[in-house]
Amino acid sequence: MDLHTIQIIHYVALAVMMVVYAIRILWFLSFPAGRERQPPTGTGSVNSKAGIIYSWLNVASPKGMESYRTHWFLYLQFVVFHLGVVAAITMSFVIADFSILMNNAAVVLTFRVLIWGACAVGVMRIIRRFTDKYVRAISSPDDYFSVILLTVWFGVAAAAAPFGVPSLQAEGSTLLIIYFAVQTFFLLYVPFSKISHYLYYPFTRYYLGKSLGRRGVFPLKHTAGQPTTAGADR
Amino acid sequence: MSEHTGRSHKAQMVLERYQKKLSRQVVGSLVACVHCGNCTDSCHYVLANPGDPTYAPAYKADRIRKLFKKHFDWTGKVFPWWVKAGDVMTDEDLEELKDTVFGKCTNCRRCTFNCPMGVDLATFNRMARCLLVSVGIMPEGVAVVSKDQWEIGNQMGVLKEDYLDTLDWMSEEVSEELDDPAAVIPVDKMDAEIVYTINPREVKYDPRTIADALKIFHAAGENWTMPSEGWDMTNFGLFSGDDDLGGVVARRVYDKVIDLRGKKLVISECGHGYRSTRCEGPNWAKFDIPFEMESSVDTMLRYIREGRIKVDKTKNPDKVTFHDSCNNARSCGLTEPPRELLELVCMDFQEMYPNREDNYCCTGGGGAMSMSEYTPRRLKSAKIKADQLKATGAKTVVTSCHNCVDGLADCIRHYKLGMGVTQLVTLVANALVWDEMPAAPGKPEIPEGVPAEMEPEVALDPDPEEASASEEPPLAGKRIVVADDDPDQVIYLKSVLSDAGAEIIEAADGDETLEACRKELPDMLTLDLEMPGTPTKDVFARLRDELPELRICIVTGRPELRALIYDQDLRRPEGYLDKPITEESLLRNVRKVLETS
Ligand code: SF4
Ligand code: SF4
Repeated sequence: MDLHTIQIIHYVALAVMMVVYAIRILWFLSFPAGRERQPPTGTGSVNSKAGIIYSWLNVASPKGMESYRTHWFLYLQFVVFHLGVVAAITMSFVIADFSILMNNAAVVLTFRVLIWGACAVGVMRIIRRFTDKYVRAISSPDDYFSVILLTVWFGVAAAAAPFGVPSLQAEGSTLLIIYFAVQTFFLLYVPFSKISHYLYYPFTRYYLGKSLGRRGVFPLKHTAGQPTTAGADR
Repeated sequence: MSEHTGRSHKAQMVLERYQKKLSRQVVGSLVACVHCGNCTDSCHYVLANPGDPTYAPAYKADRIRKLFKKHFDWTGKVFPWWVKAGDVMTDEDLEELKDTVFGKCTNCRRCTFNCPMGVDLATFNRMARCLLVSVGIMPEGVAVVSKDQWEIGNQMGVLKEDYLDTLDWMSEEVSEELDDPAAVIPVDKMDAEIVYTINPREVKYDPRTIADALKIFHAAGENWTMPSEGWDMTNFGLFSGDDDLGGVVARRVYDKVIDLRGKKLVISECGHGYRSTRCEGPNWAKFDIPFEMESSVDTMLRYIREGRIKVDKTKNPDKVTFHDSCNNARSCGLTEPPRELLELVCMDFQEMYPNREDNYCCTGGGGAMSMSEYTPRRLKSAKIKADQLKATGAKTVVTSCHNCVDGLADCIRHYKLGMGVTQLVTLVANALVWDEMPAAPGKPEIPEGVPAEMEPEVALDPDPEEASASEEPPLAGKRIVVADDDPDQVIYLKSVLSDAGAEIIEAADGDETLEACRKELPDMLTLDLEMPGTPTKDVFARLRDELPELRICIVTGRPELRALIYDQDLRRPEGYLDKPITEESLLRNVRKVLETS
């Protein structure tokens, strides 16, 4: 199989993924959304809308969550891992359709740094999933497979990145084909696995933010300067 | 057993009802978990049970989630083993689920706030409780309390006459104390600005909080009332997950406010009551509320800000700390008003860490106080709370929740912290400045500028050393049979009651109790519900028959056994106390029982 063919297959896989996602969203929306009848507690900036926005952005504000405040390294891993996902996906489209951009060494370097970083985090996550008693207890075969799949994908993508440059594509065609093949499998697998969590993220956090915003819980007071943990005000 | 599925009837019913409970909010939380484990150490059960992953929020959530995956989610339907989808087949499976959803989670929502995906375990844990309750699988205490709330209209089975009697009693005490005949509780007054609703625990164990509220409303010159019905703002539907019960109970309160043409419903300090009545009730009852609602914390703060009451913080000089109720902080956003109020009425307020929405549960939340089978587990998990409390160095912990008062008192007793628990209403009432008001009877006049000692929660009665030597102990001349098979409990009851002047006769089982009552003809009997010998329900029935004048107060650590007594077609006991009992509530209740003829 040549690079061009796998790129076309990769686009087909992408289309299949989008269709399955659309079905998935329709399925999700087929469940009734309970109507909120409680009178709003908040005034001014404290309302459902502020709550929803806060809820959506919550993940970008580690100080809003004790689990990240106290485990900042996990938060760092989270950021690096997700930046790596964005980079590895974007790179496939750049190589397929805008490969001229890969002539810019800074672009290639950025992809390589982000994706190798994510790959390293992937290895850490695999180790954690196998060795941490608590994480192991909640892990399913899908959880193990997903993190391994992503880590392999990162590794292949990072290794293939230098060959994304148009003049080097022939030389690195095997690596590039493997990269596109793994990504094709990834795109087809995602809708059926926990990797599709990002599809639900806007909805889960929307409903949580809507309810808690209306009650004046979100935005959290301590993110506005009220200390909740010892030492924070000393 | 269903012939087609091989499932027990109850398991089949649970699955059929599961589908009906799936809202978008619940489904979102069921599908979004990535098993990252971030929420693990946000749970007090995990922290108190190191090394046991079965307490991890995501692990507990997966006991409920596996059913969703197996029956409603496509990957789980096709490849169940791949995503750990699972089923419930037998009643034993449901019992196991019960152990998790009732016994290992207080629905405190702390993990929700620590989940980057916004997975709200507490919400679908409540849903799972509802499914189990719908097929009759629940802790006995949950069944008893739900029944009381369905049938009697409040969750502690307080009869209307007892409630009204308590309001009268408090009115008498306060009007006497203030020497003001107008300082009474107006009942069912039409067109009042405020309709005040309370927790039945206040009637049963802590009527002083009603008296305190009366003083504050009176001092503020408020046009207020308490309803004769629909006065219980608590709602066991929140804990049992039963939206129908939740809706009916909330509606009783709303309808009464409408009947009275009240302008605003004020909810006394109770976390789950405030959440149920203020936030969830309109959804459960599918009813749009035509009047305003607020917590009494907001009301008291408003009175001070508006200058309607004056307070002197030197009257509360001791160091206090504040415990945020989970329902108030994480579900209702009520975190700042109590702090503002504390700063206004206390000299020394010390923040507890973590606090606000990061605070740990008192461990009595989610109805845990009524599930005695899980008490050892609850008290073990209370270690986290105990450490938090201890670190503050405060003498008293203040909380705006009756449930937390009990949860914290249990924790303090178990871990021997020597702290008191009180509520804002008591501190505000204590700090009131009564211009030109004569000193209350029985209390020393406080010279201006001299700080009076803060009244601790556990010492309602005048300090014996301060009381005048000529004053007779409150139970002098009373003869009480203390019936309990736990020697420690007998020693405790005996020491408190005999210190108050009563003569105590001990009985350690059902037969001794009957004999002691027949022979000694006491004024009163405190009756434990679980003793060897003649069963307690028979002891109660025989004594009702043979000694109709005898006043009986049930004392039990197993509220679910109440039905043994209350389901009999006999005059109800004059009093009821849940173990553990504070000295204050014991004395108050015994005095009340002895006053009732
Ligand atoms: S809701 Fe509270 S008790 Fe339940 S799992 Fe989450 S943190 Fe633990
Ligand atoms: S933090 Fe959220 S996504 Fe992660 S395991 Fe806990 S519930 Fe699941």
